[in-house]
Amino acid sequence: MGEDVENKEERETEDVGRSESEPGTVTTRIRARFGDASVSTGNAVGCESVIAERDALLPFMTFLKDDPELSFDYLVDVTAVDRLRLDEEIRFAVVYQLYSYKHNHRFSVSVPVPEADPRIGSVVSVWPGANWLEREVYDMYGIVFEGHPDLRRILMPDDFGSYPLRKDYPLHGKGERDNFVF
Amino acid sequence: MGLEDQLQENVMTTKVDAVVGWARKNSLWPMPFGTACCAIELMATLASRFDLARFGAEAIRFSPRQSDLLIVSGRVSIKMMPVLKKIYDQMPEPKWVISMGACASSGGVFNTYTLVQGVDQYIPVDVYIPGCPPRPENVIQALMKIQEKVAQAKAN
Repeated sequence: MGEDVENKEERETEDVGRSESEPGTVTTRIRARFGDASVSTGNAVGCESVIAERDALLPFMTFLKDDPELSFDYLVDVTAVDRLRLDEEIRFAVVYQLYSYKHNHRFSVSVPVPEADPRIGSVVSVWPGANWLEREVYDMYGIVFEGHPDLRRILMPDDFGSYPLRKDYPLHGKGERDNFVF
Repeated sequence: MGLEDQLQENVMTTKVDAVVGWARKNSLWPMPFGTACCAIELMATLASRFDLARFGAEAIRFSPRQSDLLIVSGRVSIKMMPVLKKIYDQMPEPKWVISMGACASSGGVFNTYTLVQGVDQYIPVDVYIPGCPPRPENVIQALMKIQEKVAQAKAN
């Protein structure tokens, strides 16, 4: 009986999903480095997050990776959101999910990208694993990653003319599946 | 006259078409084009419980140049269709095609921008198998339908 209670406590302290850092550590650290006005932070889906500016993206991301108190050494995912029918001024947002093996904490970076100028800096130089992830975002949303070493479509055929995950693209396509040539 | 005396009833008269058709239908060499769960059922059809060897079609070849029966089992996207067409073109004549399952035959539930809505738009299909995925019995029935068709084909 006593052993059971002990094991239960042990399991709780070994919860892998729980961050070792105190809540707000990452945003506090970012504010200390870039100033209060530099970023607007939030706590979406139980994970600290930040809305970053795309013009200063690369120094910001490099800081997140290299700062010893943050050391986000693992880029979990890069994806994008098309907010066409949401109440947002800027249509797209590129979202980076980060994780630190060293500190066992997570972080989410969202970068607004306007439709008229769908460009953003590539983070392949920071995390090489971003290579295929950015290609997928380019393939599906048409967002160009400047500085990417090999920005080609990754899932759709090279001559595919549309960006299928944009919200104004019809589910059945624009006739590509019936009219493609080979 | 003298010859018939010697051979007696050891001779059967038939047509070349019938003999060649009989030989071909009992020795089909399938080329599997497995892209989805249908391919798992196809593997089950070849395994011991259902045993496609009973129909002489157990010699699966992963080279189209050694095959005469193409079994399209699974989804085919518009990026994959050129590959399927090339494999079909590489198969020597005479050749037959089974479209296995809902996806290969009609796109199935994947009525989307990227999926070919039936491979028969681009390659000729002899037998369609319904189902999602079809059971091995369906595959065996399709193979028997192909055998009927092969038996009736011209030899040249």
